[in-house]
Amino acid sequence: MIPKYAQPCLRLSMPVSETHIRPAATAGLADPLETRIAAAHARLVGAGYGVGVPRAYQQAAPKVAEHAGPDAALALAEAASRIAIRARPRVAAQFLDLSVPMARRLAAAESFGRWLGLLLGVLKPAPDALAPLLERMEMLHQRLGIGPLEAWVQTGLRLAGTDLALRQAYFTLELPEAVRLLERHAGEDTFHSLEGELRATHRALWGQSPPIREALPQAKGTAALRASFGAGVIQLPASYGGYRGRERLIFKAALAHIGAHMAHGGPRFQVGQLKPLQIAVISLIEDARVETLALREMPGLRRLWLPFHDVPPDGMATTPSLFGRLARALIDPDFPIRHGWVRKGVEMFRAGEGQIGSPALSRHIGNILGNDLGQTRVQFNARDYVVQPVYRDDNLGLWDLPPDPHEAQQHHHIDIETHDLRRSEETDSPQEHKTERADQSADMPPEKIVPAPAASGVGRIVGRLPEYDYLAGIERADWVTVKEYEPAPGDPLFWRKLEDRQGPLLARIRSLVRAAAMGRQKRLKRQAEGERLDLDAAIEASIQLRARSTPDHRVYEGVATPDRSIAVHLLLDTSHSTGDPVSLTGPSIIALLREATGVLAHAMTQLGDPLAITAFASDGRDDLRLVRVKQFHDDLGPLTGMALSGLRPGYSTRIGAAIRDAGARLATVPAHRRLVLILTDGEPSDIDIRDPDYLVADARRAVQSLNSSGIDVFCIALGQGAGQRHAEIFSKRGFVQIDRLEALPEKLPALYLRMTR
Amino acid sequence: MTASPILDAYRLETEPKWHQTDDEIAMFSAAYGARLPVMLKGPTGCGKTRFVEHMAWRLKRPLVTVSCHEDMTASDLVGRYLLGPEGTHWQDGPLTLAVRHGAICYLDEIVEARQDTTVIIHALTDDRRILPLEKKGELIRAHPDFQLVISYNPGYQSVLKDLKESTKQRFCALDFDYPAAQVEAEIVASEAAIAQASAETLVRIAQKSRNLRGQGLSEGSSTRMLIHAGRLMAGGLSVGEACKLAMITPMTDDPEIRAALSAAVDACV
Repeated sequence: MIPKYAQPCLRLSMPVSETHIRPAATAGLADPLETRIAAAHARLVGAGYGVGVPRAYQQAAPKVAEHAGPDAALALAEAASRIAIRARPRVAAQFLDLSVPMARRLAAAESFGRWLGLLLGVLKPAPDALAPLLERMEMLHQRLGIGPLEAWVQTGLRLAGTDLALRQAYFTLELPEAVRLLERHAGEDTFHSLEGELRATHRALWGQSPPIREALPQAKGTAALRASFGAGVIQLPASYGGYRGRERLIFKAALAHIGAHMAHGGPRFQVGQLKPLQIAVISLIEDARVETLALREMPGLRRLWLPFHDVPPDGMATTPSLFGRLARALIDPDFPIRHGWVRKGVEMFRAGEGQIGSPALSRHIGNILGNDLGQTRVQFNARDYVVQPVYRDDNLGLWDLPPDPHEAQQHHHIDIETHDLRRSEETDSPQEHKTERADQSADMPPEKIVPAPAASGVGRIVGRLPEYDYLAGIERADWVTVKEYEPAPGDPLFWRKLEDRQGPLLARIRSLVRAAAMGRQKRLKRQAEGERLDLDAAIEASIQLRARSTPDHRVYEGVATPDRSIAVHLLLDTSHSTGDPVSLTGPSIIALLREATGVLAHAMTQLGDPLAITAFASDGRDDLRLVRVKQFHDDLGPLTGMALSGLRPGYSTRIGAAIRDAGARLATVPAHRRLVLILTDGEPSDIDIRDPDYLVADARRAVQSLNSSGIDVFCIALGQGAGQRHAEIFSKRGFVQIDRLEALPEKLPALYLRMTR
Repeated sequence: MTASPILDAYRLETEPKWHQTDDEIAMFSAAYGARLPVMLKGPTGCGKTRFVEHMAWRLKRPLVTVSCHEDMTASDLVGRYLLGPEGTHWQDGPLTLAVRHGAICYLDEIVEARQDTTVIIHALTDDRRILPLEKKGELIRAHPDFQLVISYNPGYQSVLKDLKESTKQRFCALDFDYPAAQVEAEIVASEAAIAQASAETLVRIAQKSRNLRGQGLSEGSSTRMLIHAGRLMAGGLSVGEACKLAMITPMTDDPEIRAALSAAVDACV
């Protein structure tokens, strides 16, 4: 018999051997619990793990039994024993100590069993990860719950692979990726999850689209606490910890506040002889000033901002408290003012109502108030000062500060580069790239947007894609990093040379296409509506009328010109193996690919079908290498020719990710039928994946998800034996295998025409 | 010359309200005086159709309106043979009706129609002012009161759907846009019968939504939408509810854009 709690272990591919379980579970069903616990305890004593483990067990077992049932208490001994063997006895004791609060949290026997299964699942492949995991277990469980916790742990194991240091960093949460995944699994709102909404909201409210970025961690590695703006760029913290459930509101409030600064602020203040305290007060008044102006136009923003002003009107008159009170009093007319300094501030602010349009008002009031405060004995610690309330920005954008060597200046540059690339998704074709950038910076305040390096060796991160793990049964968000690479320089005369080489073929295809396009116009007889009367039908109808029977009313004829509406995204596999020659003396596979693609592109242009061509390869999950040979809006010009002829073989084949990317691109093209057409010479593979089924399952999942959104996926497998697993991925009707590769240029367009008829 | 009684059904009895923002009335009247065809350009819901109705009323001419659609053929405009008990007979289409009897013919969203359709208006829009009915073998000379008006929304146009250069050059054109905030608020207040202050709030919200034009929305909320929202408010809904019902939900299905629009509504109320 396998007890209930052992089953999740099996699910996590960590079978609990029956011989181990049996003694505990069947020791004596009739015995009272105490006896059985005592027996388990005795076994732990006898096993020689030291005194700590049995003692911890003795304390934990009765309480665990109380919360999670007697079986759980007995399984505890078993699990502790295995942890002591594979990790260390100390970890086992730590586990036993933790089991009581966890049993209380998990309550049900079943979820406690899942938790045990989770730990044992970690124990086998990564015993070293157990200690850091146990240390943070309560926090992790509180944020995630048991299901997402399993997913997060599994993700960590897979992410680190055999890299011990990486694994430690993940489970100790030192790896930023680990924290990010944690937030994601916890379903919390982070900058990433809200980015699109925030961008659109800012655009709607203020009519501007400044770049909005996630703030990079500061030099010390601590995450940014407050939003920030400057040089036309808005930076928001990756997340606002400690405000669970309100993150979304904070992000919105923070962005609205910065919007107010940008709409109503003036040039940067000069620091001059000002003390840090004065700078802080002036900033505070300026915050209130721009908010007041924004509220005149958009009174509803008050509801967004006000809840974060939660400072009480009384209490110790410390600087943070006074600042909080002044800030609140300036936005909240109902806030009772009980401190002279705050009252003075509010009165000056009200008196200055006439000049509220000018930032000089803030400077004037802030100067005086700062002086006043400086003369009292109130302490101000500039180093630890954090602007309150939480939605306000760090005010650095208000001041013309001397460059601070400790500031992460270079980081800032990199930040803009890497993050800005995502913006270019919609715009770029290689030649437009630079002009686009120039335009952007023209209508924005001068910002140091550095054009991304265009060298072919350096990829530009353009996004992240999920990947499906069939073992865990989950789709891991943001798992594969998509990078775009500039095409290697190719032959500008590619098209002309193709015409020379393949002249007869192209001519044949042209007539084929013409026939295909012509044949589609059909005369439609006996229609209910149409351009003219269908003579035959009209005569018949007249006869029937005169015979006093009911005529058929369909007496017209028309011409059907159904719009040809199909868009195709062609994916070219340029992995290393495509460099192989087709036969001993023949050209390489990739040369044939280029040729065939050229011919097909020709045919499609004639048909007027929108076509995009992307070459893909991969170098681990961090580098899905895409070369955009042709985008939907590009013409078949010298540039596409160069890009196509510049394709070089290299790296591996992560096919699922490429399919997802192509699908996402295709989804925005208005067409009745959308097709992702893949040309590949082999099975999916990548350097960081050893399980041959993993990428196959992921690709199948990608195909299914595209199908469900109305995008067809079709694969052309090149070479003998290439299609072994393609039926699994694309289904039997979703792929065709071409053995004689030399015929590819000829076959591909014909195949396409047949497919899209 | 008076128009025939056939078109009486197309006459406007009551005045369609029009709030003049420029001297468009004078310009249109001048074009009508010279019997020149007119093209009205502007985003959806800014009042193109209302303006034509107003002008037809003002000039005391019947108005034949045709909403063009993708499947519209030339026959749908000029007419076709129908089969009757005694054989075939010809039935005039709306354009032929207007040409024959002297009305203003308004082709709404002309680019939506198939390209061959637009060509038949060519002979009508130059100094010949004739409409050849090919199938019937008839040539109609336009009634002196006849005028052709088309509307055209530059925002929708793609490469595939654009007027031919030869078509465009036959028309005088009036540009329409959403009126200035103050004027728009007055229009909304009077059309929806709500207080000026509420109308101003609605207009402010609309301006926020127009910020998203081309950045998630193909158009911002139109004046028409504002009037709808205003009517809902007059019926007792709150601003937020009315905007959601009449503006946000119809305009987009993108959850991010919806969130942004809701934020804009929240901010303005």
